Amino acid sequence: MPESEEQDTLLRASQGDLEAFGVLYEKYVERIFNYVYYRTGNVHDAEDLTARVFYRALHHIQTYTDRGVPFSAWLYRIAHNLVANWHRDRSRHQEIPLSDAPTIHYKGEPPEVALMQTQERDALLGLIRHLPSERQHLLILKFVEHMSNAEIGETMGRSEGAVKSLYHRTLLALRDELEDSDLEELTRQPNASRLD
Amino acid sequence: MNTKMKQFADASMGKIASLENRLSGVLRPIKPRKEFVHGVAHHIQTGTQAAFVDRIANWHLIAMLIAGLISLAVVLAVVGRVLLSLLGKNRTA
Repeated sequence: MPESEEQDTLLRASQGDLEAFGVLYEKYVERIFNYVYYRTGNVHDAEDLTARVFYRALHHIQTYTDRGVPFSAWLYRIAHNLVANWHRDRSRHQEIPLSDAPTIHYKGEPPEVALMQTQERDALLGLIRHLPSERQHLLILKFVEHMSNAEIGETMGRSEGAVKSLYHRTLLALRDELEDSDLEELTRQPNASRLD
Repeated sequence: MNTKMKQFADASMGKIASLENRLSGVLRPIKPRKEFVHGVAHHIQTGTQAAFVDRIANWHLIAMLIAGLISLAVVLAVVGRVLLSLLGKNRTA
């Protein structure tokens, strides 16, 4: 959707046009779902919170003002607040239960290698989920949405240089966490780090 | 010394590149269920959930208002009691 068209849709949505809001919903639902999923670690809560993000957005869209930041940034802010409340309401961070994690097929790998890869994946996701929320957001935008640093900067309200720097610091922090954890040992096993 | 530094830097960069590969393997886009996406879209189109959220928001507001009034009444009662007690002491003195 071109930017001018989105502006028009936004304007109509802010005037109470539910169909226009539906168009915005269709465009952004997957992105918000992915963000919430990787922040919470389970599909059920991700669905619940994603729905709430859009209900809240619908409820407040009349007060939305275009300040030059993308509409997605507004949605991400709502999602961030809801996820923060969700974490506050829970006594501990929830890890992804194996049964709830999306299945990734490791073609041709023996079961023990596939199991190790799943363990590595869960452990790495656990480490990511313990990073500060801003860094998690950055990683999600970078790897799930494949956004450039400039686009991430627009969404997060930072300069491109600041995003680059934050990304580098995040990787260093994650590398240090990995070195301190057993995960590094796990991934040193042959074939363990090759995900297909 | 320089060679050692270079080796260290190369090893560090190698680890970072390996970490990026692992992250790209772990952080993959996930499709939400179609039933979920369509269900929310339906609620949005009909505006039912928005009305529900409205009611929840109003209910929260009313609850907070009542709680605030009760708190204010308690504070006023305590202050009044303290003042009366102080006045009573002054009179007896």
